[in-house]
Amino acid sequence: MNSKFEYRFIFLQLLVLIFILSIWEWGWEFNQWLVEDYPRSVQKLFLITILDPFFISQPSEIWIRFQEMSCFITKSGQSTFFHQNEFWQCIDKNRYHLWGMTWATLYNTFWGFLVGVSSGVLVGLILGRSYVLAKIFEPFIVAFNSLPRIALVPLIVLLFGLGDLSKIMTAWIIVFFLVFFNTYEGARSVDRDQINAAKLMGASDLQITMTVVIPSTMSWVFASLTPAVSFSLIGVIVGEFIGADKGLGKIIIESESTMETADMMVSLFVLMIVGVLLAYFVRRIQSHLLRWQSQHSAER
Amino acid sequence: MSDSVSRIETRGVVKQFGGLRHPKVLAVDRVSFQIHEGEFVALIGPSGCGKSTILNMIAGLIPFNEGNVFIDGTDIYFGEKLPRNVGYVFQKDTVFPWRTVRKNIGYGLELSGMDKEAINVSVEEIIKRSGLDGFEDAFPLMLSGGMRQRVALMRTLILKPEILLMDEPFGALDTHTKLIMHKLLLEIWEKEKQTVLFVTHDLGEALTLSDRIIVLSARPGKIKEDFKVEFKRPRDAVTLRETNEYSKLFSEIWHCLGEEFNKS
Repeated sequence: MNSKFEYRFIFLQLLVLIFILSIWEWGWEFNQWLVEDYPRSVQKLFLITILDPFFISQPSEIWIRFQEMSCFITKSGQSTFFHQNEFWQCIDKNRYHLWGMTWATLYNTFWGFLVGVSSGVLVGLILGRSYVLAKIFEPFIVAFNSLPRIALVPLIVLLFGLGDLSKIMTAWIIVFFLVFFNTYEGARSVDRDQINAAKLMGASDLQITMTVVIPSTMSWVFASLTPAVSFSLIGVIVGEFIGADKGLGKIIIESESTMETADMMVSLFVLMIVGVLLAYFVRRIQSHLLRWQSQHSAER
Repeated sequence: MSDSVSRIETRGVVKQFGGLRHPKVLAVDRVSFQIHEGEFVALIGPSGCGKSTILNMIAGLIPFNEGNVFIDGTDIYFGEKLPRNVGYVFQKDTVFPWRTVRKNIGYGLELSGMDKEAINVSVEEIIKRSGLDGFEDAFPLMLSGGMRQRVALMRTLILKPEILLMDEPFGALDTHTKLIMHKLLLEIWEKEKQTVLFVTHDLGEALTLSDRIIVLSARPGKIKEDFKVEFKRPRDAVTLRETNEYSKLFSEIWHCLGEEFNKS
């Protein structure tokens, strides 16, 4: 609306960011400098250990590790920007380069999302429109839903191995229930009068399903897509924690055991960016599909 | 009365709600009437008298306990498909919000498998007649209540029904918008002379539109009286209300209705 107003916020947001990064980068040193002259026992009391780069690394360190892991610079610190050969060599040599790991996580997230959403919609529509089936399956669904899905991950890894399939399955069981419940609610709350109106205009049962029930339910389904993609990512990462040979979750869990916190931080930041981008794309698609709901949009 | 064919007929229709765990409530008690070819009949009564229930039973939307409903001589039962020449306009907004105005109006034709070109031609024509031009590609939620109800009306009329069942179609609109809709409906009716059963609780509306007004009693709904409305046509929805005959008939029916209002 008011662009000047917006700029002011961006400025303040940048300020907050710089402040956080500064504390992160220099906070520990500053903290140590403050307590330098006191005896050790007093020092211990006032040292804020959470600022110790041993645990949380440092922005500068993380930035270097990011470039190394993504093969933007070589081990000797050379930029590969103008030396494509070296970039590809680095990718070949380094089994855990960031690109491959990110791709592995994204790939599984995508399939977990796709399979989860489509099965959730299908089952939700069937149970939502069939009173008998809903009645039969209700206790099973309630029981299964009360089980924290994450607790099933070890079992899934046992069943489906360390490969992609176990990650996709983990994402699936999480996404499925989310989308299923939304679809189920949606399918049950289709306006009776809208169905009657269609019937009175001569619609067959199949036509009612296709032109009234499904479009009406879709608004509920679309509303669950943004959380679904985040849930899918959670599922994949947890799956990678429990057992995997690749993926961002794998880097995180491995750097925990090797105490290489910079590596962990790099993965976390990449995950953050991936999460933001995925949510953004899904929201874009969603708002296009639900454009009829925005009362204020101008006629096209 | 029997000189013309009856297109809609109810014979001793009884409707009871409840049963089993809930107390039984008699909603409609032995209602019988006939509506003839080209007649515009209003069904009026205090709220809860079962007027919408009667309409829904005629449309086969809800079952009834006793009696018969005939449309063009064929028995109508609950859940059965209505003959194709019957159109229904709901009180509630039943326009599909995910379809544009154009696609909403073309919906019924789409169902019948008509080809796109032909649908477009008919839709275009009816949109012009209804004053919806300029809004063809708008989604219903962007429109006012009056516009939406216009879409609902046109969506029904495009199928060229000979019999129109209308359940307080303008009940949710403000007075001004209502008058505009009355004009539009009268205009269309003058041309096509559908047989109309129009449920309303608004006496002014009933007088403006109809040839006959059936007054229902408070619950359980029974036919109390059957008034003839013999104002000359074509009528003007606005100036009609200034005439003496309008006022006279209005107070006569109002008195009849008033007794029922006091009861309920």
